[in-house]
Amino acid sequence: MIDLPSSWPSRKDEAWRWADLRHAELWGTKPPPANDALPETSVHWLDIPGERRLFVGGHPVDSEAQLPMPDRTLPKHPLADLAAAAAVAGTDLELAAGEDGGTLQLLHLGTGGATHGVTRLTLGAGARLTLIESFADDDADHWLNHRLDADVGEGASLTRIVRLRTRHGLVSERAAVTLAGGARFTQLAVVSASGAARTEVLVRHDGPGAHADVNGILLGDGAAALDALTRLEHRVPGTGSGQVWRLVAAGQSQVSVAGGVNVARHAQLTDAEQSLKALVLKRTAAAHLKPELEIFADDVKCAHGCTVGELDKAALFYLQSRGIPVAEAQSLLTRAFVADALAVIAEPALREALDAETRGWLESRT
Amino acid sequence: MLEIANLHAAVGDRPILKGLTLSVKAGEVHAIMGPNGAGKSTLAHVLAGREGYSVTEGTAMFGGADLLAMAPHERAAAGLFLGFQYPVEIPGVSNLLFLRTALNAQRRLRGEPEISGADFMKKVRTESAVLGLDLEMLKRGVNVGFSGGEKKRNEAFQLGMLEPKFALLDETDSGLDIDALRIVSEGINRFRRADRGVLLITHYQRLLDHVRPDFVHVLSGGRIIESGGADLAHRLEAEGYEGIAA
Repeated sequence: MIDLPSSWPSRKDEAWRWADLRHAELWGTKPPPANDALPETSVHWLDIPGERRLFVGGHPVDSEAQLPMPDRTLPKHPLADLAAAAAVAGTDLELAAGEDGGTLQLLHLGTGGATHGVTRLTLGAGARLTLIESFADDDADHWLNHRLDADVGEGASLTRIVRLRTRHGLVSERAAVTLAGGARFTQLAVVSASGAARTEVLVRHDGPGAHADVNGILLGDGAAALDALTRLEHRVPGTGSGQVWRLVAAGQSQVSVAGGVNVARHAQLTDAEQSLKALVLKRTAAAHLKPELEIFADDVKCAHGCTVGELDKAALFYLQSRGIPVAEAQSLLTRAFVADALAVIAEPALREALDAETRGWLESRT
Repeated sequence: MLEIANLHAAVGDRPILKGLTLSVKAGEVHAIMGPNGAGKSTLAHVLAGREGYSVTEGTAMFGGADLLAMAPHERAAAGLFLGFQYPVEIPGVSNLLFLRTALNAQRRLRGEPEISGADFMKKVRTESAVLGLDLEMLKRGVNVGFSGGEKKRNEAFQLGMLEPKFALLDETDSGLDIDALRIVSEGINRFRRADRGVLLITHYQRLLDHVRPDFVHVLSGGRIIESGGADLAHRLEAEGYEGIAA
């Protein structure tokens, strides 16, 4: 018997102010209904070469079952802790020093009820990995809840693409990444869920020269409630981070990001940058941006910027006056708006695949 | 080609154009001059279909079709080109992506096939060379980091690329130094053809020394108060708008 949280986080908790957790309370740990039919998954993979592993309702399909141990040094977290306790399977990957793990794609498919999962990564010194984690569903209401715990060794590099593209219920995922000296972590979240979605990142910079880029694109339409929270902890001197979040709100959607940077008292020479921007395409939609900077050291650079706006009318007319229909003009300007967040992806094929996905979302928008 | 009859237009509740009538035939170059606030830019924006400008009376026909009933992008596909007084900067959308998207959108609307990548680039090289625009600049965001003169040259470049039937040029000469004025004027002169029309909107006669108009009109108080040949521009320069309006 797995204990559910004695009380779920509520909107009174600052870290959960904009999260919509109704489906978490509704489904708790109720397992997905038994079903042997394999849902259609081809549309959910990113068209990139590399190993693929599929999880349906929390169970691996065509790969051996693993159940990794979570990182016990992490602070308590109501959803991530439940994911660890209730998961029936996950992915446990350890790369030796200097090993190039290539690209690994994990697709987590919710099929009704509650699905919990864990991914555990350990990258030895100088190891490299690109991890693409995608969350999707079939046609049932559900809760898909996941955690990733990653240790990135000295000089190692982890790139993670996380795609939240569920159409029903709630998807929530928390990544906790610990960086040794000179390690790099690059993450891009692309959140285009139609229901509720929560993406959360905790990065602990534990060695000098560690650097994290944590970017995200939130694309809200219909009644979507998309919510992101970051906490980048600079715990030793001489570490860096960048955050670029671009939020697009259409329909009656609500998109939110709280971007956190914490610089410990002795973490001098921290260089942290943050840019949070939201584009509201319709006045019925809403965007919330919250920079949260806690700086206890005095010799640091922490730049941040935060703006909410609409599409530039003059630019729209300029494009239209050259023959571009208004919907295509809006799409072009919106793609340009999110391009800043995509730019962190160095690999051109990967960046183009993600750009195409944004374009697809814009074209399918109601 | 362009037939404007008794055009009244307002910005919000404020009437600006008050019964403007003008006819431009194919092969002709017309210039509209006038003092600040006469309604010159309003005319350009109304004809291009900008939001916020309402036509309260009158008609504007373009090639026999009702221009005012068309959406802005349809006017462009029909062959109307507005050269902006203040070209807009659009970060993140490269000049080349913008132009190719525009060209293909126009072609689609006209039922023509899209331009191939190779043909497009060939055209880009030819047109940009004429205007002295660097290809590297065209890979940057639309007008981003362009000087005033470069922005106007970019307008002339777009005119060459899109090959419209009619160029409506709003204060194309403002902010240009002598050399840039000559280059942009050459762009306009290259555009002149027996089957194309041009309407130049300008404050000063100096552009008209480079692009010689067939007709000059004086716009004041929202109407055309005097029309004449190219010499009218010189008279205006000598006597001022007040002298003509009196």
